[in-house]
This record gives sequence, C-alpha cells and structure tokens, in this order.
Amino acid sequence: MIWLILAYVLLALAGIFLLYLTFRTGDRRFIYLAVAFYVIFPVLLTLNLPTEISPEVRQLYEAVEALPDSAVVMLTFDYYASTLAETEPMSRAALHHLFRKHCKIVTMTTIPLGGPSISERVTRDLAEEYGKTYGIDYVNLGYKANYVAVLKGMGSSIEAIYPTDNSGTPLAEIPMMSHIKNYQDVDFIYVVADNGIVDYWMSIVNAQYQIGVGSGVTAVMAPKFYAYLSSGQMTGMLGGMKGAADYEQLVHHHGTATKGMAAQSLVHLFIILSVVAGNIIFFMERKKRGGGLQR
Amino acid sequence: MSLVDFLQIWIIAFFTLALFSFLYKDNPFYKFAEHIFAGLSAGYYVGLVWNSVIIQQMIDPMFDNGKWWLVFPGLLGVLMFSRFTKNYHWISRISLAFVMGNTAGIFLLSELHGKVLPQIQSTMLSLNMNQSPGALILSLIVIIGVISTLIFFYFSKEHKGALGGAARVGIWFIMISFGAHFGYTVMARISLLIGQVQFLIEDWLGSIIQFFV
Repeated sequence: MIWLILAYVLLALAGIFLLYLTFRTGDRRFIYLAVAFYVIFPVLLTLNLPTEISPEVRQLYEAVEALPDSAVVMLTFDYYASTLAETEPMSRAALHHLFRKHCKIVTMTTIPLGGPSISERVTRDLAEEYGKTYGIDYVNLGYKANYVAVLKGMGSSIEAIYPTDNSGTPLAEIPMMSHIKNYQDVDFIYVVADNGIVDYWMSIVNAQYQIGVGSGVTAVMAPKFYAYLSSGQMTGMLGGMKGAADYEQLVHHHGTATKGMAAQSLVHLFIILSVVAGNIIFFMERKKRGGGLQR
Repeated sequence: MSLVDFLQIWIIAFFTLALFSFLYKDNPFYKFAEHIFAGLSAGYYVGLVWNSVIIQQMIDPMFDNGKWWLVFPGLLGVLMFSRFTKNYHWISRISLAFVMGNTAGIFLLSELHGKVLPQIQSTMLSLNMNQSPGALILSLIVIIGVISTLIFFYFSKEHKGALGGAARVGIWFIMISFGAHFGYTVMARISLLIGQVQFLIEDWLGSIIQFFV
C-alpha cells in the first residue's frame, strides 16, 4: 500500500514537471508523455477507483430487468472498430444481462466497417459462456446498407430487409425468427452506437412503433442524447466508458471499462490541472504585458 | 495461443504503434499505416455492399423469386454512374431526385413526431409553487435556457436592450453546453487511448511473455 501511495506521489510530481516543461518549451509532446504515464500506470497495476452509478444507467438496467423472461430484445452493434474501447464493454455487459434473463436476442448492425465481425465475435463469446444456442436463443442478422431504409423497412418485415442472417442462412430456416416478423414482435431495442444513428432509432422506430429504446453511446455523443432522456422518450443511457463501467457493476461483471476508470480519473485530474495552470499563466502574462490580449 | 492469434496480435500492435508514432512527428510508419487503413476499408466496404445489397437484395430475389421489378431500382443505381461522364452527367439527377423525395418524405414525419413535438412538450414545464424547490429550480433553468437560447438565434432584430440581455443569457447556456461537450469529448478520446494501452499491455506484452514462458 505504501508503495502505491509513493507511486502516486511520484506520478503527480512527474506530471507537474512535464507540465512545467510544456509551458517552458511550448512543446506539447510533454503533455502527451504525461497522459501516457497516467494511462499506462493504472493499467499496469490494475488499480480500481470507486465510481458512483449514474441515474440514467440504473434506469436502463431497471428497464431491462423489468422485461419478462424470454422477451425479444434487438441489440445493435452500430459502431466502428475505432471506438471499441467504449462500446464493446457496453455490448458485453448488455449481453451478460440479457442472456442471464434468458431473453431472445436479435443482433444487427448498420455499420459496415467492423460492425458485422464485432457482433459475431462478441455475441458468440458470451453465448458460449451462458450455454446459449444459435438460432434458438440468439440470431445475428449482420449488416445491411442504408440505415434509414433498414430501420423503416423492419417495421413491415425483418425478413424483407434481412433475407438471411450474417452467415447466409435464410431467416425462414431459423427457429427463433419464426415468431419475430417485425417490430411488433420485439419488446425492447438496445442500441449501442458511436454515431448519430441513435437519432433515427428514436425518431423512426421509437416514435412510430412505440417500442422502448435504451442506448449505449460514446461519450462524444452522450450530451446530445440527454434531451431524449429528459423528455422521457429514451429508456436510460450509457454514456462512454463511465456508463459502460457503471453497467458492468450493475451486472456484476467487471470488464475492461471498470479497469479503465482509474486511468480515466487520473488523466482527467491532470487535464483539469493543465487547464487551471494554463489559465493562471495566461492571466499572469497578460498582467505583466499591461492587460492587452496580444502575446 | 494459436499462431494465427499470435500473428493477429502482432499486426494490431504494429499498426497501433505506427499510428501513435505520429504524436512524436510525422514519419513513414505512420504514412504506411494510414494508407493500409484507407485501402483496406475501401476494399472491405465494396465487398460487403456487393454481397449484402447487390447480391442479396437484388440479384437473388430477381432470379430465385421472380421479383423482376427490382430491375428498376437497380437501373436507378446504374444511372448514378453517369456522373462520371461529361455530356450525360445530368441523367444521375433522376436517381438523386428519387432519393431526395423519398428521404424528405420519411424524415418530415419522423423528425416532427420523434423530435420536434416531444422536445417542445418536454420544455413546457410546470412552475407550480407546490412542487419541491429543487424541481421548481430545474424547471426554471430549462425554461430560461430554452427561451434565451432561442432568442440568441433570432437574428431579425438587433440584439439590443432586453433582447440583447436575453441573448447574452442564451450565450451562457450555450457556453455551458459546449463545456459539457468538451468534457465528454476528453473522456471519449482518453477512453480510446486506454483501450489501446490495455491491448498493448495485456494482449501484446502478454503474448510475448507467453511465447517465452
């Protein structure tokens, strides 16, 4: 424990020194180095700092918890491989929850680069863990281009949009899909996305077909979707790695998001320190030069 | 760990480090990784769309189920390629007109029902004094925030006097919103870095240790 405290103190001193070097030399690479320290250190030592579960995450968890056993849930993998660090833990935590509740899961994606293979890999991993059978407990529809047509079309017929699943098996030959024809047969939609497609799930599917939609989105997207939460249109939301870590705690599965939160907290502290220090130096320099804005 | 897994981890690690090397300065490794990514993405996307759209939703239904009418949307798609010709590029406008009309029709209703009306409704909050002080303050903030921000975007009258004062309050709300966006953006970018560092330490270094032990 004492070594850990000592390491933290050394890390804090290193950060302050690198910040000093940045302001001294004007070379931003010292900032990159400091951020690298603060990310690598907690990952190496697998530190865990406590986090408080956000209300919107609990809201989504409770909405899924309230679903009847064997409810049909559509889980989307609407994200690129570039945002895996934030979105994959959300998908994994959601699958833990849904498989544990014995829900029937239909996965799909509207993202070509990464979406189909990520959904295949993640769903297969978790299905093996829970002993679930493909075609009976879950189905992977895969990718289809033109998300507006896909979202709208599935309201009439899922089979018309996805004649086959991700591996080319006709939907008519998959037992689970025999009673899932369109949105009327879906109880809940769980959108995990890194882009504005959540807007279309809300405006096309939620508004027109009155199906509950919960979402897991990247932190960049999260502020925009709080409007849907406050209007009561969206049933809970996971915002970025923090949202994913909260959901992991709720489903009692500590994955990569929970592990990453210590690094997240340290880097944020460093950025706050940099912003404060930068502003103090700016105002001090301005005062020294006689109050003008020019440097 | 199989040889394929081992190679896969090393390829990912190489490209991750090649892209991170840009933080020091631009270099050939970064350029190489960038070009490989652009080429691979384009090739993968073409293959995926060809299989999941052209084959599955046009060719197969036409020949297997006799849905011959699918030739018309197919033809509209082919017309788009006329953009590459100098004299006949106008033909692509027929397809574009179809797309524009269709999209406008879908979005007109969905935006109205899914966004505009529910969002207006959610800002019509009660200022009843019988509710808790916390709820009353929150309702007031929402009402003042919405009205002052809308006033800021009203440009038909000069922002002077009461209108100017309300617009300045609107600016404060917009700035706070930008701050929230910035904070979340920092979290998002750091998350991506954490993800790759976790991969490098746990998977890549793990594979090296596993190789030697």
